[in-house]
Amino acid sequence: MARKAHLAAGFRRVLLAELRQIGARPGLMFMLAPFPLLLFVLLAAVFQLGLPRDLPITVVDQDRSTLSRQMVRIVDATPEVAVTHEEGTLGEGRQRLLMGQAYGVVLIPPRTERDVLAGRRPEVVLFYNNQYMTPGSLVARSVGGALGTVAAGISVEARVARGSDVESATQAVVPVPIRQSALFNPSLEYVQFLLAAVMPTVLQIFIGASAALSFSRDRQGVAGLGKSLRLGGTLTRTAAGKLAPYTLAYLLVLWGADALLFGPMGARFGGSLTFHVAYGVVFVLASQMLGAAAALVARDTVSALAAVGVITGPAFGFTGITFPRLSMNGFSDVWADLLPVTHYLELRTDNILRGAPLDISMPAFAWLCSLALVYGGVTLLLLWRHGRPRLAASKEVAR
Amino acid sequence: MIGAFFREIAAAILAIWNDKGARSTMLGATLFFSVFFPQPYLSEVVRDMPVAVIDQDGSTLSRELIRRIDAADAVAVAHYAADMPSARALFLKRQVHGIVVVPPRFERDLLAARAAPIAVFSDGGYFLLNSVMSSALSNAARSLGAEVQVGRLTASGVDAAQAMAIVEPLRVTTVPLFNPTGGYASFVLPAVFVLILQQTLLMGIGNLKAGRRSAGGLSTFADAIVYVALYSLWAGVVLVLLPWVYRLPRIGDVAVMYAVAVPFLAAVTAMGLAVARLIPSKEGVIFFLVVLGMPLFFLSGVSWPAEAMPQFLRTVAFAIPSTTAVPALVRVNQMGADLRSVETAIFVQLALCIAYSTLAVAIERWKKGRSA
Repeated sequence: MARKAHLAAGFRRVLLAELRQIGARPGLMFMLAPFPLLLFVLLAAVFQLGLPRDLPITVVDQDRSTLSRQMVRIVDATPEVAVTHEEGTLGEGRQRLLMGQAYGVVLIPPRTERDVLAGRRPEVVLFYNNQYMTPGSLVARSVGGALGTVAAGISVEARVARGSDVESATQAVVPVPIRQSALFNPSLEYVQFLLAAVMPTVLQIFIGASAALSFSRDRQGVAGLGKSLRLGGTLTRTAAGKLAPYTLAYLLVLWGADALLFGPMGARFGGSLTFHVAYGVVFVLASQMLGAAAALVARDTVSALAAVGVITGPAFGFTGITFPRLSMNGFSDVWADLLPVTHYLELRTDNILRGAPLDISMPAFAWLCSLALVYGGVTLLLLWRHGRPRLAASKEVAR
Repeated sequence: MIGAFFREIAAAILAIWNDKGARSTMLGATLFFSVFFPQPYLSEVVRDMPVAVIDQDGSTLSRELIRRIDAADAVAVAHYAADMPSARALFLKRQVHGIVVVPPRFERDLLAARAAPIAVFSDGGYFLLNSVMSSALSNAARSLGAEVQVGRLTASGVDAAQAMAIVEPLRVTTVPLFNPTGGYASFVLPAVFVLILQQTLLMGIGNLKAGRRSAGGLSTFADAIVYVALYSLWAGVVLVLLPWVYRLPRIGDVAVMYAVAVPFLAAVTAMGLAVARLIPSKEGVIFFLVVLGMPLFFLSGVSWPAEAMPQFLRTVAFAIPSTTAVPALVRVNQMGADLRSVETAIFVQLALCIAYSTLAVAIERWKKGRSA
């Protein structure tokens, strides 16, 4: 019992020492909560629209007929795009793409209307900028859809002219209609998709870096890690006392961002809140242990930060949110599994978006816990190795 | 004077080589990130995404439709599920990323000229998988539908050409430009490479200059020349050589690229010097830059269109060189833009270079004034 109280006191002493260190560094305090929240607001502002609207496109109408003007009108009426320029030649339209003033060019060649009426099946072409894939494919889909509507209208008229009734003519135009629904994110909102994934990835950098800074600072200090270890009494109490202030701060940031996302920003929360809290805690712990281990491996503070930067900076590509994991090469797939954020985002998707039963999420949750344990184990081992000689040396001096 | 200048140049080169932090960011990290970052994207496109099929019709035409879906490069029919709950379970376990339901009487409706709808469930949580599903399915459904239509019209005595004119009176063709295969690496990497240049250059300057007193105007100018020259070499490696190694489309004129890249690197250098004088600690500068990498990527408008961002944010983002330089360099390198198409971006970079240089000088004056 007395021993337990002693250990708890050790934890408290390290915690207070760490809090004093944080208090003496305004830069560090800024990095704990205001900076990540500021970044969240910035990212939320970037994706505020959810879906882009009125993407600029150019029309090259060389037909200038009733039909061509109708096509331009229908294309312009789609919410995703806006016809902002009309050019005489395809070359001029292309120049708009190169200057970044349009994402697509619709070419309506001369005699289009006449050829339609004569049954010669003229061709209308949409050129779209696929280098900018997000707006490019959106333009392709909506303009393609709008032009398809025009073509379908003509097809219906042709059938009616051949004696068919409007009802069956309409059905005949699209013989195999597709009723597509996007499971679990029916509105295809980018806020749900990108913002909810980017924020934890950015936070992983903060969490890892703060843990790395905390341990590097001790190692570079005059007293070395020995001082913290003496304060804490045991390795575990020392590590826990040092990291606890950051754990708390970043959990609050993580949940604060979620509160904004699911509150004022209106994202849907479809899963278990208890489980969400649980994997949030493990995610923060695992990221901290990753940063702490990096700090104890690296020789100095700058290298420690660089190591955390190298591991957590490019993490987003590996999480499989944008480019799916099923198409990654072997190295990326293994690397992705070593990053806490990969499993955290998978758990988030399972729980919040899909409302999946718990047993589905167990493998990912086990991964996240193992990462926390393994990185934590490495941290304790290195702490023991680095702390020991100095501890022994200082005892010698004391004698 | 000229001799002194060259001595400063030599000193600047030595300073990079002798500072471990600067050496590892300006020489090591640039190369490391350009090799490490592309790894997840190298297969470019999704192939054989597993989907589940629920064939409730079991007819010749339903099997034909499923065959056409399976024939698409991007998807593969991996499971035949008996009903929706079992397909849904496969979906939740991530064993399939889409579900197709062919309802009973599919064939009968199709042959009787009634609409024969199919239901498709795609993955709304992953945008790329979602769009892969849409395009594979709509191609299969459209081609089968058109064939059945033409077949029925010709059977009723219409000649083939006329039947085609009824089914498809106006051909709508969509042509993807600049990244014809829709490769993900081709889309992301050209922009990321530019950002890597900016971030590692800023980190290197932070390593060398943060918290240190300026060694005078001439010395700082010589430093800047060395940084821009070194990174002009890196620009060649990262924007010309690496795309060739990774087989990314690159059609641009190298001279035009440098007409953008050199002012861009000058603006980044000036910004780096100003930031290093503002944030006194090395660790602070590095941390700040690591964290900002992703937000800056999104602000460049390559992945998320700038038109969809609030005007206020777009204006503020202009202060960062990458915001205008990333799209300009992508337009030059990947889209083949000429000098005229990117001249605005060049002017912005030059203006930023002047503005940040002035800021750096002003901070130095202010610091001196305070310490005096």
